[in-house]
Amino acid sequence: MSSYLKESWAEFWAGGISKLGVIFLLTVVVISIYTLLNFPLDYGTRYWNNPKYWADNPKASMPVWVNLFTAQKFLNHFSMSTRIPSKAFLSGGHYLKFYNVSYELTVNQFPTFITIKLEDVVYYRKAPSVKVIVQRPDGRVMELYTLIVESPVPGEKPPYVRYSDEPKKIILSGNTYVAMVLSKFLAREYKISVAPSDIMDVGYEAVIFGYPGDDGKFKPLKGIYNLSVVLYAKDGKDKIGRVTFVVGGQVYGLMGTDTLGRDLAQGLLFGFPVALLIGFTTSFLTTLIGASLGIVGGYMGGKIDDLIQRVSDVVNNLPQLPLLIFLTFIFGGKLWIIVAVLIAFGWPNLVIVVRSMILQIKSSPFVEAAVSIGASKWRIMARHIFPQVAPYILSQMIFYTPSAILSEAALSFLGLGDPSIPTWGQILEYGFDNGAVYLGYWWWILPPGLLIVFSAVTFVLIALGLEPVVNPRLRRWR
Amino acid sequence: MSFLEAENLILYYKTLRGPVRAVDNVGFTLNRGETLGLVGESGCGKSSTAIALMRLLPRNVERFEGKVILDGLNLMDLSDEEFRGKVRWKRISMVFQGAMNSLNPVLRVGFQVAEPLMIHKGMKKREAMKRAEDLFKMVGLPPDFAYRYPHELSGGMKQRVVIAMALVLNPEIVILDEPTSALDVSIQAQIMNLLKKLKKKLNISMIFITHDIALASDICDRIGVMYAGQIVELGSSEDVLLNPKHPYTQKLIASVPLLRGDRVPEFIPGAPPDLVNPPAGCRFRPRCSHAFGKCGLEPPFIELEEGRFVKCWLYGGED
Amino acid sequence: MGLGKTLTIKGLSLLFVLFCVLFLTVIIIGATGVSDRILSAILSDRVRAFRQEMATKITDPEKLNEAVEEYRRAQISSLGLDKPWYIRMPSMVWRIITLDLGNARTVISFSGSNKIADIILERMPNTVFLMVTVLIVNFLLSLAIGVKVATKPGSFLDRFVSLYSAVSYALPTWWLAMILILVFAFYIRIFPFGGMFSTPPPTDPFWRCLDLAWHLCLPVTTLVIALSGSWIYITRSIVITVAQEDFVTAARAKGLPEKLVLWRYIVRVAAPPILTNLILGLAFYLTGAILTETVFSWPGIGLLYFNAIMSVDEALILALTYVFTLIYVIARFVLEVLYVIVDPRVRYK
Repeated sequence: MSSYLKESWAEFWAGGISKLGVIFLLTVVVISIYTLLNFPLDYGTRYWNNPKYWADNPKASMPVWVNLFTAQKFLNHFSMSTRIPSKAFLSGGHYLKFYNVSYELTVNQFPTFITIKLEDVVYYRKAPSVKVIVQRPDGRVMELYTLIVESPVPGEKPPYVRYSDEPKKIILSGNTYVAMVLSKFLAREYKISVAPSDIMDVGYEAVIFGYPGDDGKFKPLKGIYNLSVVLYAKDGKDKIGRVTFVVGGQVYGLMGTDTLGRDLAQGLLFGFPVALLIGFTTSFLTTLIGASLGIVGGYMGGKIDDLIQRVSDVVNNLPQLPLLIFLTFIFGGKLWIIVAVLIAFGWPNLVIVVRSMILQIKSSPFVEAAVSIGASKWRIMARHIFPQVAPYILSQMIFYTPSAILSEAALSFLGLGDPSIPTWGQILEYGFDNGAVYLGYWWWILPPGLLIVFSAVTFVLIALGLEPVVNPRLRRWR
Repeated sequence: MSFLEAENLILYYKTLRGPVRAVDNVGFTLNRGETLGLVGESGCGKSSTAIALMRLLPRNVERFEGKVILDGLNLMDLSDEEFRGKVRWKRISMVFQGAMNSLNPVLRVGFQVAEPLMIHKGMKKREAMKRAEDLFKMVGLPPDFAYRYPHELSGGMKQRVVIAMALVLNPEIVILDEPTSALDVSIQAQIMNLLKKLKKKLNISMIFITHDIALASDICDRIGVMYAGQIVELGSSEDVLLNPKHPYTQKLIASVPLLRGDRVPEFIPGAPPDLVNPPAGCRFRPRCSHAFGKCGLEPPFIELEEGRFVKCWLYGGED
Repeated sequence: MGLGKTLTIKGLSLLFVLFCVLFLTVIIIGATGVSDRILSAILSDRVRAFRQEMATKITDPEKLNEAVEEYRRAQISSLGLDKPWYIRMPSMVWRIITLDLGNARTVISFSGSNKIADIILERMPNTVFLMVTVLIVNFLLSLAIGVKVATKPGSFLDRFVSLYSAVSYALPTWWLAMILILVFAFYIRIFPFGGMFSTPPPTDPFWRCLDLAWHLCLPVTTLVIALSGSWIYITRSIVITVAQEDFVTAARAKGLPEKLVLWRYIVRVAAPPILTNLILGLAFYLTGAILTETVFSWPGIGLLYFNAIMSVDEALILALTYVFTLIYVIARFVLEVLYVIVDPRVRYK
């Protein structure tokens, strides 16, 4: 027996195809483990489907590494927080605390938006005010926005905490007050007059991060910017818990973002363990049921065999996808329902082939010998028949795995998937629905599909590698 | 000169473990109208010899050489295409081991018999089928069986079809590879009778390959005994069977049970050698009760008298 | 004689399957309450229409309500909503069998009717046309490449084909479609984004054909790439296995030319198992139809199905599930006919 295993392994390992398959498989498993260790299990409902979580990201933006290949560089997305003031001093009766970050504009592009988030503002006496100040590389300074924190409510006692559950978001683009500031800024610094209502046409970011060129158009001003939020407080203990500056870029992350701003890299990562889970569960259970029924039916014969055959015949004659769609539509798109339906359609295939193999083995001499010794039916099936068909069953199981992965992806693509878990099919569905194909969002369309193909190919390669072991006629030498 | 002469025939197969020396320097002669039997255990190379003669080589051939002279023409000189066009089936045909599998399951059997006529002689289908029907009659089958499919015939019937198929182009030599081993004894007897009848009627030369000596004795004029890819004894049937010279032949004959008498059949201890690494010297040495020092060298094919050969040091030969 | 009897038996068993599916579907719809939902929707539509119509004639609100209520009660009994679903079942089954499929809620046919039967009938040919084209191309490809590669196993072409088959099996059809559109329609711009004809379609028949062919290119290419891989591989495997059979050696021994041996002894004998695998893989064609039509906006019943799901048009979904099963069963029957013709061993006596 062990020499048979050794020979089988040698045959399997001989082909380059098998080696490739195993390497791929290891990759997938490692990535899946990494994902499961680093992400919570309810990632889908808690983060992925939660638009607020992605609100700060640029929408439908390309991956960061695009800059390696294009002549015209794109702007990286920028997001940075600070908790500690860089300087604090008393001036004119106010305690001033400066929270700032430094932002460098290195490419010839304007940022797409700029927002400031304030969290956990704590004050002890009078409500403080907050100013947003931008210092440009050319030395010019803009005082863009002033916010007065909400006063204490009657009955409230110090310390007064604001913006704890819900951070305060200051969006500069589109704000009328900011427009006035910018209009005045342009008049004062560049002697050009743009009415506040026209700032929108020029672009807020163009004014903040640019300068007017000779042709009248604004050009990006490259260099280091100092973005600060200044707290004017009445008590020295007043502070802001965290200030986050988000300067919108055109590229973000390892795999870019979708129209909701979701980091595609995370969604794609999560797809690995899901694919493995679906693939293995479905194929394992399908194989288990199909093979068992095939062995039992083939060996027992008679009425049981007939019944099993009739049922598999009927199921086999059913077209898979339309009925899959139909059942998912009726019972809802939960993951376990999809798996259950896939199994229900998959098992007859195996029954037919296993059964015919059993029929051949049944009449072989050593089975007859076992029967004549008096071995029970179950013992014969388990000890004598099963080992003969085991390699074939194993290879079928592996071959069926990609089919399960692909079916789930197809269902997700049609909108019937399980919405609480991000899968590659779902990402593609969202993309297609939002016209990503027609808008050329290649980073959204290509990677999920490639990953589906990759994981499916992994199993196909292994199954192909197993074929010469299982079917001796396909071996290299006769 | 004999009608067919094989000399130094070599056929090695390529395998993962190394070359298998299936036919290792085989030589024999065959006269017109004569039946030569090739006898030996499974794996001794008799089927491979037939393959070599018919040039039906598989993909993994390591070495194939030697001389096969048919009526003065060295067949090994012919190209594959020439061999196919001039020799195969026209001059030498074959009845394969396991007739069940020699027939194409989706074609009618008569058609398969008639095919060579249509291909090699350009006959029209109707005429060729007529000839096939005649052949069916000759081998003892009703002519309308020609329109049946293989799965509609019994084992014995299929064997007859295959024999008819082999005779269709009136070849000069027919090779029969275990033509009866898959059949039960009564059918076996019928087929043997058919073969004897055909031999007398058509006066064809036959090479009869079998592991069953008794069968060989029934129909063969001359017998060659093969062991481990080589012919170890060759001579007239009578001589070889009643007066075996090679230790292996002796043991082989002693192992045949007799219907009458109390003689206990002997058996030969050990197993045939591995053809990838055959032992140096005489290949039967490990199992031979007469082995002595010289047997470490490969014995020559000694001619004891005209047409009588032994490959054994016991009978002389030089170093 | 064996041929006819075999075909009849096969035909009957497939019909049996169709009925099973039908019953199962109707039972599921009934038991899960979907049919109640469908009928309620139809009921409220009718009542609303009636009310609108009556409102112009009867001005007294109380009288109006009375009339509507009466109408509603009459409708409930005629639709069978007052009875449990298993009483309604037989008539529903009968209606579906006779293809009286009702009306679609959200879709209308090109000619303006919203009878489901009309809608389906006018889109079906589009789908059939597409799939038959793909089938023919696949068949020719697998014959040419699969056989050629099987005669030289282990060669470079053989290994390339194996890899191609593996990849094409793993390739989601719909994703491939998206990629092809991205590359050829968006970037290179030589093929259209989708649809069957340009808008407006050319009137001249010659240009119309050309327009159709132009629109056909990407969908057919997608489906061929996605589906031919497994065909070619199966053909190759089976041909290799058959090529090692004894009767092939016997055929060569008979001095038959290699080409003849290949086609009459290898391919002809390999045909039945290849057909079997085809039959098993037929489901993929249906799947491919639905998904590809969706991506290419090809106006066939696949796209229709997708739209029905998206807009939750229950009556349409039910009808289309049935139609798809019907098509599948018919296609299988055709293939089984071919199988029995090709392999004399499976005929009954």
